Amino acid sequence: MFLVPALCALTLFYYYPFLQSALYSLFSLEYSTDWLQAPFIGLQNYRRVLSSPEFWQSLRFTILFTIGAVILDMSIGMLLAQATFWIHPMFRVILRTIIIIPWAIPRVIQASIWRWMLNSEVGVIGVLLVRFGITDSPPLFLGEPRLALLSIILAYVWKGASIAAVFLMAGLASVPKELQDAARIDGAGSVRRLFSITIPVMLPIIVIAVLFRTRDALRVFDVIIGLTGGGPGNATESLSTYAYRIYFDFNNYGIGSAYAVIIFIAVAVLSIVYIKRFLERFEFVK
Amino acid sequence: MKRSKHGYIVLSGLVFLLIALFELGPLLWMGLTSLKPAGTEFRIPVKIVPENPTLENYAVVTQGNFQVQRSIRNSLIVSGTAMLGTLLLSSLAAFAMARSRFRYKKSAFFSIQAAGLVPPIIVIAPTFVLLRSWGLLGTLGAMILPHIAYGVPLATLLIASFFAGIPIEMDEAARIDGAGSLRIFLQILLPVLRPALFSAGVLSFLGSWGDFMHALTVTLGLPAVQTVPVAILSFSSAFQLQWTWIAAGVILSVLPVVVLVVLFQRYLIDGLTSGALS
Repeated sequence: MFLVPALCALTLFYYYPFLQSALYSLFSLEYSTDWLQAPFIGLQNYRRVLSSPEFWQSLRFTILFTIGAVILDMSIGMLLAQATFWIHPMFRVILRTIIIIPWAIPRVIQASIWRWMLNSEVGVIGVLLVRFGITDSPPLFLGEPRLALLSIILAYVWKGASIAAVFLMAGLASVPKELQDAARIDGAGSVRRLFSITIPVMLPIIVIAVLFRTRDALRVFDVIIGLTGGGPGNATESLSTYAYRIYFDFNNYGIGSAYAVIIFIAVAVLSIVYIKRFLERFEFVK
Repeated sequence: MKRSKHGYIVLSGLVFLLIALFELGPLLWMGLTSLKPAGTEFRIPVKIVPENPTLENYAVVTQGNFQVQRSIRNSLIVSGTAMLGTLLLSSLAAFAMARSRFRYKKSAFFSIQAAGLVPPIIVIAPTFVLLRSWGLLGTLGAMILPHIAYGVPLATLLIASFFAGIPIEMDEAARIDGAGSLRIFLQILLPVLRPALFSAGVLSFLGSWGDFMHALTVTLGLPAVQTVPVAILSFSSAFQLQWTWIAAGVILSVLPVVVLVVLFQRYLIDGLTSGALS
């Protein structure tokens, strides 16, 4: 009985709209959401999505983005988490606080911040690159497709690494200190200890962190809207930003829903792994 | 020995500075930009530190058409209310998960958690239509209600796993004294759950505070109901190249949550560590 309010809320704002989208996707809905009056067209919306070059472009972008973002989130997150354990205790608490600050900043605002830092004339990053003699003039970070992808990843990872770091701090705390000490006495260097003790012991948590970070990266939306708006051209359009455009700029709920359902199917595989590896560990549901 | 200890402290300091620069550098750069007189931010060569620092950019963004304080207030109302709603629903659900046995418990738990895996893009359009039919578009309620639901999966997970660690003897003692379920929950268990409620609360608050896609869709471009993320984006497009103003807006709007995180950082880290990952 105590579950009823929560389940009602989730049904109303997750399960009902989810099923509704699945239904929308089977109808021809242009400038209308009245699916009961709209012509039923079976899987034609799906065919149109799968045969449009924009879909494959946004899929490719999202995959490249996700790979880059997850790798950097995890490795920078690991360095940050390691640093909080390694550093002298007098810096420890304040370091942890500093690390989680980017977490609190909404992604769109974060994108605004980075858009200014990556400004092609007076952005601080370009200026520093020139000052250290790495390039002659500040690069057009957001004007060239490949650089734009890198810039989006960079801005995204600023926050993503913080989130990963918090997870990994929890993981590192679970590695028995005796194990580390024993390895050190046996003469294992710090890199060796990282790869043959720390990472294997905390592997379950690493897997969960990777799942979470992948889930978030596949949804990428805010950072792109704030940083490039999908440009140059539609080079940095992700699955979510493009689907959003179809819904609210082109007003085509049928195709938009087909797009969203395809995204869902892609993410569902990940969700199954998540449920198997993570949720089944909780004692109280057994 | 003594020397290497000093070396360790110095090296620690260096690592600390490096990380602080990475994490806070972007905010620092925004802060410095916000102090430059409008227009001078595009001067070449670029001055890192403003020459004639001024607060007039803050005056611009808090007066006239762009009142950043209004969107901060909207965000506080939306996120605060949504957080309370989430905590209420989640702690009740967690109570059921951790304390009672019933037939479909496992499927109930999975259906709560699976909701958190649904990508926002797939629910956005029908939710928009639903809120339109309720006449809520362009109101704060159009964000509060869905945000309550969006927070439930994670909050339930955190509270339920913390709950599971509280000895059941506590409930039993109260039950012998004649207390009913609701009373046990409110008077005995809720106080013990405080750490979990704090971390679930902060996380759902931040989740709601950061929401952009949904808030953008249901506020219909009305400045009066925009929350911080939407307002900053419309700032950025309305001000175009007035970066000193945008910077001032960003700094003001980021301040409340940074304070929140600094105050509650222990709950954030502990909550995630002991709850979700134990």
